[in-house]
Amino acid sequence: MHIFLGSACHPTMIAIKPCRALLRPPSCSRLKACRRLYHSYEHHRTPPFPPTESRILSAALSHVPTHGFTTAALTQGARDAGYLDVSTNLFPAGPFSIVNYHLVTQRLALANDAPSTDDVLNNVSQNIKILAFRRLHANKAIIHRWQEALALMATPAHLPTSLRELALLSDELLFLAGSTDVTSSWYTNRGGLAAIYASAELFMTTDRSKDYVETEDFLTRRLEEGEEIKTFIGGVGSWVGMQAGALIDGLRTKGVWI
Amino acid sequence: MNTASALRAVCRPALCQQAPICDFLAPRITQWRSRKRYASIAISSTSPKTEPTPEILESESIAKRRRPLSKKQQQFLDSALRVNQAGELAATLIYTHQTPPITRLHPHLRPLMHHMYSQEAGHFSTFNNMLARHRIRPTAMYPIWTAAASTLGWVTGLMGREAAMACTEAVETEIGGHYNRQVRVLLSWIKKMEDEGEEVGEEMRDLVSTLKRIRDEELEHLDEAVGEGAKDARPYELLNRVIRSGCKGAIWISERV
Repeated sequence: MHIFLGSACHPTMIAIKPCRALLRPPSCSRLKACRRLYHSYEHHRTPPFPPTESRILSAALSHVPTHGFTTAALTQGARDAGYLDVSTNLFPAGPFSIVNYHLVTQRLALANDAPSTDDVLNNVSQNIKILAFRRLHANKAIIHRWQEALALMATPAHLPTSLRELALLSDELLFLAGSTDVTSSWYTNRGGLAAIYASAELFMTTDRSKDYVETEDFLTRRLEEGEEIKTFIGGVGSWVGMQAGALIDGLRTKGVWI
Repeated sequence: MNTASALRAVCRPALCQQAPICDFLAPRITQWRSRKRYASIAISSTSPKTEPTPEILESESIAKRRRPLSKKQQQFLDSALRVNQAGELAATLIYTHQTPPITRLHPHLRPLMHHMYSQEAGHFSTFNNMLARHRIRPTAMYPIWTAAASTLGWVTGLMGREAAMACTEAVETEIGGHYNRQVRVLLSWIKKMEDEGEEVGEEMRDLVSTLKRIRDEELEHLDEAVGEGAKDARPYELLNRVIRSGCKGAIWISERV
């Protein structure tokens, strides 16, 4: 489970060889851990991070507003948690581990105050909006540093993990909002929501309005547009289906052997 | 006495400081140690009298251990339920498209076709609910299976009663075997859980009983199809082989994507 010293790379080495650090593939153990599987209600989920890593990373996250998503924040976090500076070797991905920790913990935190079952039945799209905005609000404390995180997420080495995390987030949002679509729209729903959420997140980094009202408006508009497109495509599909059915029935009544 | 307590007071902070470093330098050791400690508690049959015994531990359902499903088990359930949904989707579509041509030539088959269709529709909605509830991804080949199953149903329907029944026979043989394998695997898990004194849980019991019921209904369709003259289909061997290998391929793909 532990990514340990053997494969690790000291922060100074990352500074010396930035290219190699950037192009290194992400740690596959973390990727596998993120794979979504059969969700059981009777068996507890294992925590996403081992206790040591989680202590260091949560302490490091509190240093992000001052130090940004940097190795310095990671080192400060390790010190705060009572470990040696060298323990940042636990994280071969460097500052990206802080980003990943934030993404994973905030995604899982959504489930804690999810809408109750009555609300779930009422309005899925409303629930999606509430949940997505709640998730955006979780970025508030570090929003002035979030562009650094976005840059880290977009590096080739971390892109697969970030995309995977985005996909898991949109899956989580739809599940908690009570979406029960299990046809091919399962894929379009998730893809569309992921795109909308990512653009809203980017919008929020430049939003200076009070309580991020503009971000909320932006998110609402995008979700409404998505809903419209979905209704339109659904309408076209059912129209074509009905016409085809009517045509075949008509031919059958005329005695055509089909 | 005094010296001992003083010594302990000196030692304690040192130990506390050491623990996280130890934990960091050699996590395997500390983890191993803690796991071992846990195991000895779980195995021990007598408990010291001084220990507090909250009532919650006495009740039957919580007293038993419940181990989380392993990654392999989750993966198995994930792909098995995905295949089941795809299979039931195909079955409902096959019956939907077979019914009009068949019932026009053989009106006496109307109740049978309706009965088989409504059972398949019930299975389909069962698996749809299961997928949504357990957060399982539907197969990415959904539109392709939809088109393929509709075509298969329509073509065999046009070929006549015997060909349609041969199609039902071939499909139900494959899907029945698929359900049978699942039930066997789940029963072996349950047996293992019971042997190790773990609680099986309502979820697993429900799943097995649902799968058993659905499998029996599918095999019933198989018998009915044979009774309606499936073996009299003209190129019976060919139809049977082609449809069965198609089903096998579809199951193989749906397990993966």
